[in-house]
Amino acid sequence: MIDVSPGSVDIREKLNAIHLNVFYGSFQAIKDASLKMAAKTVTALIGPSGCGKSTFLRALNRMHDLTPGARVEGEVTLDGQDIYAPDADPVVIRHRIGMVFQRPNPFPKTIYENVAYGPKIHGERDKATLDATVERSLRQAALWDEVKDRLNRSALDLSGGQQQRMCIARVLAVEPEVILMDEPASALDPIATSKIEDLIGELKKEFSVVIVTHSMQQAARISEYTAFFHLGEIIEFGTTTNIFTRPREKKTEDYITGRFG
Amino acid sequence: MASAASSAPSRRLSSNSGVRLRRLIDALATGVLWIMAASIICLLATFIMYLFYLGFHSLSWQFLTSAPTQSAGGGIGPEIYNSFYILVLTLIFTVPISLGAGIYLQEYARPGLFRSVVQFSAESLATVPSIVMGLFGLLIFVFYFHWGFTALGGALTLTLLNLPALVRVTQEALASVPDSLREASIGLGATKWQTIMRTVLPSAIGRLTTGIVLIAGRIFGETAALIFTAGLSVSANHPYELNPFRSAETLAIHLWYTHSESVIPDVDRVGNGSALVLLIMVLAFNIAARLAGSALTKRFTGRSS
Amino acid sequence: MSDVPKTDNRSHRQGIGEATQVVASLWFSVGKETLSVISLQAAKSHRNERIAVNVLRGAAVFVIFAIAVLIVYLAFEGTKTFSVDKFPVWKFLFSSDYDPGNNLGGSAVFITGTLLVTGFAIVVGGPFGIAVGVFLSEVAPARMAQILKPAIELLVGIPSVVYGWLGLTLLVPFLRTHTSSPSGFGLAAAGIVLSIMILPTVISLSEDAFRSLPVSLREGSMALGSTRWQMITGVLLPSASSGLTVALILGIARAIGEALAVQMVIGNSSQFPRGIFAPTASLTTEIVIDMGGAPQGSFQEHVLFSMALLLLLIAMALILLVRFALRGRG
Repeated sequence: MIDVSPGSVDIREKLNAIHLNVFYGSFQAIKDASLKMAAKTVTALIGPSGCGKSTFLRALNRMHDLTPGARVEGEVTLDGQDIYAPDADPVVIRHRIGMVFQRPNPFPKTIYENVAYGPKIHGERDKATLDATVERSLRQAALWDEVKDRLNRSALDLSGGQQQRMCIARVLAVEPEVILMDEPASALDPIATSKIEDLIGELKKEFSVVIVTHSMQQAARISEYTAFFHLGEIIEFGTTTNIFTRPREKKTEDYITGRFG
Repeated sequence: MASAASSAPSRRLSSNSGVRLRRLIDALATGVLWIMAASIICLLATFIMYLFYLGFHSLSWQFLTSAPTQSAGGGIGPEIYNSFYILVLTLIFTVPISLGAGIYLQEYARPGLFRSVVQFSAESLATVPSIVMGLFGLLIFVFYFHWGFTALGGALTLTLLNLPALVRVTQEALASVPDSLREASIGLGATKWQTIMRTVLPSAIGRLTTGIVLIAGRIFGETAALIFTAGLSVSANHPYELNPFRSAETLAIHLWYTHSESVIPDVDRVGNGSALVLLIMVLAFNIAARLAGSALTKRFTGRSS
Repeated sequence: MSDVPKTDNRSHRQGIGEATQVVASLWFSVGKETLSVISLQAAKSHRNERIAVNVLRGAAVFVIFAIAVLIVYLAFEGTKTFSVDKFPVWKFLFSSDYDPGNNLGGSAVFITGTLLVTGFAIVVGGPFGIAVGVFLSEVAPARMAQILKPAIELLVGIPSVVYGWLGLTLLVPFLRTHTSSPSGFGLAAAGIVLSIMILPTVISLSEDAFRSLPVSLREGSMALGSTRWQMITGVLLPSASSGLTVALILGIARAIGEALAVQMVIGNSSQFPRGIFAPTASLTTEIVIDMGGAPQGSFQEHVLFSMALLLLLIAMALILLVRFALRGRG
């Protein structure tokens, strides 16, 4: 197990996973994983497919609550408060910790309705406020100029890359503090991917981003910290520079040099 | 590296009043959904218990086996016989045609005009109301064929009525057979037809049987299509005839007819008894469908794999 | 009705004769092929394959043949009111002067009756069915679904005449004592019976509609911090709209064509209902009641066939609507 004490990597953490275990039925998908995720930075989770990085990510905003048979043990704290505490409310947690999925998942509604959906479910009724929120979110997601003339067209008419940026705007509209991203560019072409990466670079100025990626180049380009997962365990965690240039573990080195994956 | 100010650490993770209200609405709505679903089960339980309560006293060996009479005390023996007679006759026509059409559509027909026309025809046939199908049967079998009201005319009308459902059952049963089985059989040098007969059909036989028995239950209780084709009477002299060219009132028709037209004094007794027998038959068909389906699946897949 | 009429239409007879032959030959050849193929020799297999395909195709052709003959026949028979008896179509549809003995075939009362009972059924049974569909797809734990699903299948299996009998012995007396209805028979009784009868159709089709929605929509909504009910109303309902439309249309189709259960409780009075509890009649109930006494070739018989044709046209229109609704589903 890795050393996550402040001595090894000095982090002022936003999100902190402490001895986290995730089970699907009797199968243990995450084994005693501890990880600190810093405020207003990008933390990348890398590792071969099936290593548990997506499972770990989904434990950070209690998405496993929705999966029958899934069970989470351990703690995840947001600003020091455990999101698995008995009085913690998943609705509040997911409001503060947003999530972007692997494939764009626009609702079959207009672009406007998609972005306004979050504020509306959280009780915003005022039209002018909603208009402003939609515009701000779309601008933040670098999509406003492309869609401002067709806000009332179906979101399904957008291209894949635009859909994904709209999904990011949809998350931004509820003003979260943390954004979890599950391979957000894996279904996109290179140009759309680079737009998403640029966007993540902007987002980290205001939000804490945790991103799962299968692309090591992407992790190297966009993240400050990287955790390497293998068979449900965190093998190594450190600054991205260190992980990619001076890995301490043999498995990490093998993976980043392409010897398995 | 780590930036200093994150958002107010005092924000709590427990629900605030707005979230509590939303949770309350969610819980209330979920409760209403539960009540609605439970009411369906209550409704069915009420129906079953009520029909038993009404009809239990009517049931006797004599009631089930004797013929109806003009005076009080008649039974439903010939009606039960006719219901089974027409059911068997209908299945003799329906099963081969719908198996054939279903196999063709699922295994042979390529997407194209012909297949869409067949599919659309089957869908259209499926929505023809049963009373309209009855009038069609009246035109064809009673009027143009000069058969009069016959068990055969009734069975053929029911064939048309239930054909689409059984075609669909066949298609769905075949679709549930994995392609790997077909490929394995073709790979061993079997022709397509051999593959279907020896590999695909045995694997689908469980679902197929379940579907056929469920449809048989529907045929057993059908009325509107039979009133003007199979007729409203049983032969006084030969109530248990094998000849298909005779009027054949079924149990379901009898239940309707005793109430709406007949002049017998004990309508309620006969009606309550008939309704209960129909209900018991429906239950029996439903249970049989499940049992036969799972037993056949076990036997055939156990043998072929 | 019981006296068998003479026919003057040779070509019709031939067509049907062929149909019967097709049925018979299909059955025999399928049976024969089955036997011969099961005990087959390799040399025969190609010939058998060819025969088999043709027999199967014949069965498929029979389906087309059946619906085509049905439409042609009913169109022919159902338009005699207008072609032979010269009764105007608009009067058939919009006049309520119904006295077939005096060549008056205004069927507006029955058309209205059909629309009203169907409307009642879909207004009551539609939302209820969709709600239970949502319950099955989104809420019900496995154990509850294991009880509810067989219950719904049993509701499908109960014959319509038994529903009519339940209406007659349970619902009508209830309405008689608890409402303003003097007899208990009428629009409301028919509507309630039909609402229950269409429930299984609406429930299972709307459950399918919800189940076919991708998990990503549910996750997308929940990840934004919605409650389950907000997810259902905000995302799932609008996303499933075309599937739900189909569920409602097929529920309507089931209600419009139902004859005996309605006939047993609607009161069978050939007048517009003067209230929700008042007796009236519908297209199907009028056919059930009067067809038996209508002399062959009479104006009355023709009008009844026109009603049947109208029912058929409505059913076809609904099928086309379903196709249209499904096409919209991207």
